[in-house]
Amino acid sequence: MNLTQTNPNFFKSIFNGRNAVIAIPYIWLLLLFLLPFIYVLKISFAETIYARPPYSSLLIWGDSWLPSIKASFDNYLFLFSDSLYIKAYLSSLKIAFISTILTLIIGYSIAYSVARAPNRWRGILLMLVILPFWTSFLIRVYAWIGILKTEGLLNLALMSIGIIEKPLMIMNTDLAVYIGIIYSYLPFMILPLYANLEKMDMSLLEAAADLGCRPFKAFWTVTIPLSIPGIMAGCFLVFIPVMGEFVIPDLLGGSETLMIGKVLWTEFFYNRDWPVASAVAILLLAILVVPIMLYQRSQEKAIS
Amino acid sequence: MSENIQFSPWLDSSQKPYIQIQNVTKKFGEFTAIDNLTLDIYKNEFFSLLGPSGCGKTTLLRMLAGFEKITQGKILLDGEDISEIPPHLRPINMMFQSYALFPHMTVEKNIAFGLKQDNLPTNEINQRVEEMLELVELTDFANRKPNQLSGGQSQRVALARSLAKRPKLLLLDEPLGALDKRLREQTQFELMDIQEKLEVTFVIVTHDQEEAMTVSSRIGVMDSGNLVQVATPAEIYEAPINKDVADFIGDVNILKGIYKGQNEVGTQLLSEDSNSIVFATQEVGASIEDEMWFAIRPEKLEISKTIPSHNHNILKGKIEDIAYGGSFSTYHVKLDNGRILKAIRANRERTKEHHLTWNDEVYLQWAPHSAVVLLS
Amino acid sequence: MKRFGTFNIFSLIVGFSFLYIPIILLILFSFNESRLVTVWGGFSTKWYAELMQNQGIKDAAWVTIKVAFVSSTMATILGTIAGLVMTRFGNFKGRTLFSGMIYAPMVMPEVIIGLSTLLMFVALAIDRGIFTVTLAHITFSMCYVAVVVQSRMSSYDDSLTEAALDLGCTPFRTFMLITLPIILPAVVSGWLLSFTLSLDDLVIASFTSGPGSTTLPMKIYSMVRLGVTPEINAVSTILVGVVTLGVVTASLIGRRQKQQILKTQHT
Repeated sequence: MNLTQTNPNFFKSIFNGRNAVIAIPYIWLLLLFLLPFIYVLKISFAETIYARPPYSSLLIWGDSWLPSIKASFDNYLFLFSDSLYIKAYLSSLKIAFISTILTLIIGYSIAYSVARAPNRWRGILLMLVILPFWTSFLIRVYAWIGILKTEGLLNLALMSIGIIEKPLMIMNTDLAVYIGIIYSYLPFMILPLYANLEKMDMSLLEAAADLGCRPFKAFWTVTIPLSIPGIMAGCFLVFIPVMGEFVIPDLLGGSETLMIGKVLWTEFFYNRDWPVASAVAILLLAILVVPIMLYQRSQEKAIS
Repeated sequence: MSENIQFSPWLDSSQKPYIQIQNVTKKFGEFTAIDNLTLDIYKNEFFSLLGPSGCGKTTLLRMLAGFEKITQGKILLDGEDISEIPPHLRPINMMFQSYALFPHMTVEKNIAFGLKQDNLPTNEINQRVEEMLELVELTDFANRKPNQLSGGQSQRVALARSLAKRPKLLLLDEPLGALDKRLREQTQFELMDIQEKLEVTFVIVTHDQEEAMTVSSRIGVMDSGNLVQVATPAEIYEAPINKDVADFIGDVNILKGIYKGQNEVGTQLLSEDSNSIVFATQEVGASIEDEMWFAIRPEKLEISKTIPSHNHNILKGKIEDIAYGGSFSTYHVKLDNGRILKAIRANRERTKEHHLTWNDEVYLQWAPHSAVVLLS
Repeated sequence: MKRFGTFNIFSLIVGFSFLYIPIILLILFSFNESRLVTVWGGFSTKWYAELMQNQGIKDAAWVTIKVAFVSSTMATILGTIAGLVMTRFGNFKGRTLFSGMIYAPMVMPEVIIGLSTLLMFVALAIDRGIFTVTLAHITFSMCYVAVVVQSRMSSYDDSLTEAALDLGCTPFRTFMLITLPIILPAVVSGWLLSFTLSLDDLVIASFTSGPGSTTLPMKIYSMVRLGVTPEINAVSTILVGVVTLGVVTASLIGRRQKQQILKTQHT
């Protein structure tokens, strides 16, 4: 009976304190992941003051026995009044969207090729994909500075071959940011795609060919539709974190590269405006909450 | 099995049942897996729970082991209510369908695992493991890991492990399901020998009716959470309680008939297929014109080209298909109304001289005591 | 039949060149005699020697190792429990929220996690330092461990647990003697993953660390902002080397585990 095999009931008896076991990681995440958001929300309604901590309290204990609530929407109004913030959100959306598409195209061809490689090569190729995924993000972004900067390796190489005469200005532009994002997030795209493509039944393509479908058409009508779960997972894994990316625009982008992660960082570390930084975070979270939930749903489905 | 011929404690009212399943119900949410089931199993029985997948047999077994909580009712073992005892405290062991051998332990460690949980002295554990290895003839494989064993060897390790603690009751979940046919048949006999030697009560779950017939003292046929019939293999085969049981156990021809009363031969039925009266010795309590069925096993149908001497219980047809099975052949005979009946005949002659072939006009005949009359 | 054509070979060569050339160049120029990072001035290990003199980097490295070790160990314990809860505890109250809290940190922008964690520490008047960085690292690392353990548990045969219980083993002992040894490779790779995640993290550490708890990535970041130097290349090379070693070990363990699973399925 399949019904009984997945029935988790007897596991109740495995841990006598079943609820205690659930509670350990649950409470940890509640306290250190969920609770912090409540503070961000709270502080986003506070006012900046010169004090430690640099924000006002929402509850004012006055003469009456009930505290009065002094919440201000000023921070949010501020975000909408200064075009910088709106532009930064829109620019982040644009950069995240375009780089997700580009990463998908490059990642798909690599994942597809690894999945179709001869068996004995596949393990080592997969390993080569995973390796950069483990290597420090910061270091990988840093590696591109030496290549892309005006007197960098790329320009030196191109000029010595004679393709260009004047160095290309790539560093500190949006182009450098795109290169950095694609480079850093490529493994996140390849892994779910590979996991999906590797499982795909090759006889489906043979069946398509047998029924008179050309390989290219079979790719579009069989392979691509079947790999949609992998595509979705990969795109979520790239799009969502890129929306809040800080390191790449900070190190590779120029002054005109606007991304909301960098704005948040600046508000917090340089302007010391915690309430505005919180409002920026809350708004970013509001944009991302739907994609994050979709991602969670797709992952749960994939596991079960 | 010679002494087993006499072994029938369920007929002896002075015998106390060893396992008593009393009005047990199991629900998974809205779904009722076991529906108010009551069953007694006696000491040293080899009891089979047989039924199609989803009939609740595995659920019942898992309730005996303690992996499923009983929704209603109770289970007694040797007079003691075990319903609330957690699995690791029950004197019952189970052999799993997947064998569930611990992959990180050797054969020896797997067998010793249960004994170690009881904190037995080391020398006693070693001695028992030795015994068990000898019992299943795996002494040379003591230090192998499960992934270095064949399917049959894994099966025997699983058996040895579940027997090592000398349980009062051994539960076997499709114990031979993963073996190929030849090995399965051989292992059936080994299982019976071991069961007799150790005098342990076995309850086995299987969907393979041949296996159940071979090994069991009694069979409980289950369907959608209910026990349909509990009887010895021979009774189940020769006197099934209804069409479903008859159909599930072995091959059978089931024909519809109208009850026309009794006469000196026995029950008279008007057959729908031959449009004539057929006779069965079995007596039934029914009223005239009641609809009922009679079941005839293919090997009990005589097939011949010439008209039989008796003039009752005869059906006429044409050979539609022949399945040559070596020691016997199965003939598919198409009646005039289009129904196809199966008849089996032992191949006593060599094929060349065989005189039955496709499209032959044949007569099927059976003795009045060969058919079973079924009311439902 | 697998078709492995020119396109596949081409995309693999281009793809892997793209992935590896920057890192290889970075490593190469860490052995450059010249201070100019783009001009080859002969082989030298002097930048490594110089690194050894840099007290700031050494302190940061020590902080990072301590944080990574403690946080990955704690994250492994919590994450393993969380992975078991996700796969073996059925539908309990608040399961959706729980799985949300497991998956969200994996994609959530780091600036949000960093800012929110910090604001809570400030509100609760917890002094920032190694302790707070460690807490923050445990929280996001445990989610990765949970997912790794969860995917291992999805191919774990429950009847192994049942068999142990059936043979008289108590639930807790069953976990220690049967379940844990079988899923151990996944737990170990979860630990390694947590360790490198902690080792790599810049953003969350920047928010949650205090004076005296500057981590290595924070130190590197402040150096990078001043420009490209061979010293950064040297420290990066060491980090890349350590992580590569760890990943190769982990994947070898993983491969052995996979082969074992395959073998058991075949017999």
